[in-house]
Amino acid sequence: MAEENWIEVGSTDSIEEEDLIRFDHGDKTFCVYRLTDGFYATDGYCTHEVVHLEDGLVMDDEIECPMHQGVFNIKSGEALSPPACEDLKTYPVKVDNDKIYIKID
Amino acid sequence: MKKKILILGGGQSALYAAREIRRNDEEASITILGEEKQLPYERPPLSKDYLLNKKNEEDLVFNNSKILDDKKIFYINTNIEKVDFNSKTLVSNNQKEYSYDILLIATGSENNKIKLDNNLEDEIHYLRNLEEAKIIKKKIENKNNIVIIGGGFIGLEIASSLSQLNKKVTLIEIGNQLMGRIIPKPIADLVKDTHEAAGNKIILNKQILQISKYNENYKILLSDNSELEADFIIAGIGSKPSVSLFENTDLKLDNGILTNEFCETSIKDVYAAGDVSNFYHPLYKQYIRLESYQHAQNHGICAGKNISGLKIEYTSIPWMWSDQFNLNLQLTGICENFDEIIERGKDIENGIIYFFLKDKSIKGACGLGVAGKVGRDIRITTKLAEKNVIVDKRILGDESQKLNKLISK
Ligand SMILES: Cc1cc2nc3c(=O)[nH]c(=O)nc-3n(C[C@H](O)[C@H](O)[C@H](O)COP(=O)(O)OP(=O)(O)OC[C@H]3O[C@@H](n4cnc5c(N)ncnc54)[C@H](O)[C@@H]3O)c2cc1C
Ligand code: FES
Repeated sequence: MAEENWIEVGSTDSIEEEDLIRFDHGDKTFCVYRLTDGFYATDGYCTHEVVHLEDGLVMDDEIECPMHQGVFNIKSGEALSPPACEDLKTYPVKVDNDKIYIKID
Repeated sequence: MKKKILILGGGQSALYAAREIRRNDEEASITILGEEKQLPYERPPLSKDYLLNKKNEEDLVFNNSKILDDKKIFYINTNIEKVDFNSKTLVSNNQKEYSYDILLIATGSENNKIKLDNNLEDEIHYLRNLEEAKIIKKKIENKNNIVIIGGGFIGLEIASSLSQLNKKVTLIEIGNQLMGRIIPKPIADLVKDTHEAAGNKIILNKQILQISKYNENYKILLSDNSELEADFIIAGIGSKPSVSLFENTDLKLDNGILTNEFCETSIKDVYAAGDVSNFYHPLYKQYIRLESYQHAQNHGICAGKNISGLKIEYTSIPWMWSDQFNLNLQLTGICENFDEIIERGKDIENGIIYFFLKDKSIKGACGLGVAGKVGRDIRITTKLAEKNVIVDKRILGDESQKLNKLISK
């Protein structure tokens, strides 16, 4: 049954390396990232204010919010730089047959 | 030997400096002396989410303020009235003396005040700290015809918040555009359009000649002899560094406390950081004074490192933002000394940016867009300005091409 929670995001080549895309599912929105060592997913909105991180800058393992430069670790969600101080929720990601899936709870 | 470090002023720079000193020195005694009751808090929401009731007092306190307890950094709520650099002591208004081996001055800035020849000066409100924000928030509850004097960032942010609270707002600006000449005119005009579309009235090119009061209302006489009525007046007419304590001392002042690239002032063992410091920037080879969140943080951290004995130059590229309605404006680098401007983007939905170039490399940029739309490109500009990179202008001016490709690893 757990299988049902894996949602298909798209093909692996839909995200450039060191970049991200926005992924909406139902009333939820996410960011899916491609880093040098694989794919990762977090909540879409910054925890500081309601701004989507899809327009942010990916640098190594970090995503920087485009609004006030709050920084989060993409893998752990940890808020690294103010004004962001609340961690970002992360989600498991798997790749199967060149397709990216994220597990939404 | 255990060093005794005093930090004067309990704002953002003070907090970040204290944290950095503790990171490098577990032994030093660190005391912050601040006149505000609250532990160090963020000022940007005062004119925005705090007025809008989206954030409360507790939300503003820096998350880092909890390190004060954890790391044995003392915060003493006191107002310092006298400084003696020879005997290395500070004296508070209740005559308590505090001595130091090293002093960091981070007293920030204070608002310019309007001079009137009647007794109404005290009835004009200003916004710099939480106490003032609380008073404004309470008093405007039953006011509906508010005049804001000054079309700088803070005046405009307050105008945006009050409009969202359904108040009637009129803003008067002495200059011929909003936010001063540093902001490209087309961006200033778009901000003006946004305010006007939301119902705010913006008056440019006019000064206040006189303010009088009848019953509970004010009459404001403008330089063209027209009159405005208001039931509440807020002014945001710029600010100046808080240096009055040092005016008759040996500390070198010029538009703030002069500091070198290591945050050192003209007096040994005395450092300055944040809004109060007019610092030498080695990349621009000139003195700069900034009033911005990012600078207050980074300059405080740099001062903390230098106080701890690490010799670290401050080379951070200036960056600041202003949020009004659903718009986010960002400014990075230096936008005054350029020989070419390149425009990127056509509308605020996707963001518009003006890049300022000198000798083919980017020196700065100013962008405006719906929240989040200009941040990435402005951040990339900061990185390019840091390295003084000569850029491909076609990519800069073509919004269909990502700027990420300009930053090589
Ligand atoms: C309403 C408002 C909105 C802002 N919005 C933005 C924004 O959107 N984006 C942005 O980039 N920047 C913004 N800023 C600017 C930013 O908040 C400041 O640049 C920053 O707070 C400066 O930090 P600081 O530590 O140098 O000084 P401050 O934070 O001002 O701290 C100085 C402290 O020292 C205390 N002090 C002074 N003299 C004494 C004394 N003699 N004894 C004891 N204590 C003393 C003061 O009371 C104050 O608490 C805003 C500022 C304000 C006021
Ligand atoms: S909205 Fe992301 S840091 Fe402010």
